Amino acid sequence: MSTEHGGTGNRGRKRVFYGWYIIAALFFVTLISLGARQGFGIFISTWEEDWGVTTAAISFVGFVGTLATGFSQPIFGWLADRYGGRPIVIVSLAVMALGTIAVAAVSSVIGLVVLYGLVISFASGGISPATTGVIVVRWFKKRRGMAMSVLVAGGSVGGLIFVPFLDYVELEFNWRIAWIVTGSLALVIGIPLILLIVRSKPEDMGLKIDGGKSIVDQDSDASQDPVGPKYVERWTSAFRSRPIWQLSFGYFVCGITTSSIAFHYVRWAQSEDISRDTAALAFALLSGINACGVIVVGLLSDRLQRKNLLGAVYLVRGVAFLTLIFLPGSMALWSFALIGGMSWLATVPLTASLTADVYGVRNLGTLFGLANMSHAFGGAAALWAFGLAFTHFGSYDVPFAVGAVTLLAAGIVSLSIKEKKDSVRYVQVPREVILSSDETTVATT
Amino acid sequence: MSAANGPLLHHSEPIDPTLWEWLSTKIDHVLGISPGVMVFILGSGIVLFPVIVMVMVWRRQRTAGDD
Repeated sequence: MSTEHGGTGNRGRKRVFYGWYIIAALFFVTLISLGARQGFGIFISTWEEDWGVTTAAISFVGFVGTLATGFSQPIFGWLADRYGGRPIVIVSLAVMALGTIAVAAVSSVIGLVVLYGLVISFASGGISPATTGVIVVRWFKKRRGMAMSVLVAGGSVGGLIFVPFLDYVELEFNWRIAWIVTGSLALVIGIPLILLIVRSKPEDMGLKIDGGKSIVDQDSDASQDPVGPKYVERWTSAFRSRPIWQLSFGYFVCGITTSSIAFHYVRWAQSEDISRDTAALAFALLSGINACGVIVVGLLSDRLQRKNLLGAVYLVRGVAFLTLIFLPGSMALWSFALIGGMSWLATVPLTASLTADVYGVRNLGTLFGLANMSHAFGGAAALWAFGLAFTHFGSYDVPFAVGAVTLLAAGIVSLSIKEKKDSVRYVQVPREVILSSDETTVATT
Repeated sequence: MSAANGPLLHHSEPIDPTLWEWLSTKIDHVLGISPGVMVFILGSGIVLFPVIVMVMVWRRQRTAGDD
């Protein structure tokens, strides 16, 4: 845990860097936001019984929600780049909270489409890594990978606590109370927590990135810090260079492979005659390894080249896909949980940190938001394509093989990123040099 | 089952209702605690976490004031 320079407190103890409190606060609102989104699934059977509607009708709500979240992330990311992450998270959380409470009054699928599919899902894009990441990268530089990993792992673990919580609230009371409780937690605890603790950047508190010396008594200015050779003032400029395409391609494949497994996990287990007990235990194992894996990757990513870890994560996931093809039923299930679990979430902090390292933090929200959108659309396309393939071939071998091949490609592409040449961790250039070369480029074009 | 109801909680996908049914059966079998008690246990954890964070920040700011 990093400590703050010059902050020892009145008992001589080193003070924990304030950035970690920000991570804790963002962890909580991520938990609520993800809980509301993920918890939707547990109410489906209740709505089907209460309202006499089909699963397909409620599925449409989820589909609209996926699209809304995908579209909203680059928008909120862009807003966070301009106005800071804090106000975006607060407004998004408030809208999401009010929408969540309003779901309790819904009695038709149309109401769910409007409130969950549009309002809550769109607002949840403002509490995603595209906006929370914008805050984290401004507070952390040396331990950026670790900080992002803790936040991401927190969301994962939090979801696993919050979803059962909602289910038990429904069992004890009813589904309407469960939505009111979720919205109230966001309103009564989440928003005050962000207001009290989170600041968009350390300069807002007279602090410096990574807990360095306070800038209050200095003339130093964060805007004068050195940047990497590919630093961009405008997000559109990033797309004229290779790394953003390499990172986005990997993230697109990440979407393909995670969403397809997410949807087809139960179907595949059933097609292999795996018992529900075994499948549930394997899922629990995968979730546990998932949270541990992302922390380990975060620790390593602040010491090693991030692109090597990212490439390794995709290749490991590719091996996990191969186990689904070549190993028999239960053995494939456990192997996938063990191997795939290590790689499931680790792409998020690595991609966000690499994007910030290469292009600077100024446009991270927009760039990472666009990457998240490609992730969502890759996932949506894969759900459809995997379903078609299963119908056509009668097994998941072909779609899993396609998944393994795309992961191999993502691994190679990620490994080909020239991090030592493009990242601010390895090459630091005075900001004025980049800005003057940008002006020259604009003038000549 | 919905095309948007993924179970693996990679980002923000709703949990698969079939998988959740399997999981909750397993949890109930292992723990055997009533829903009311589970609401209290999990709810306490969810509420206590931000309260503890707020107290820590408050103590930190008070200490900084003493310095």
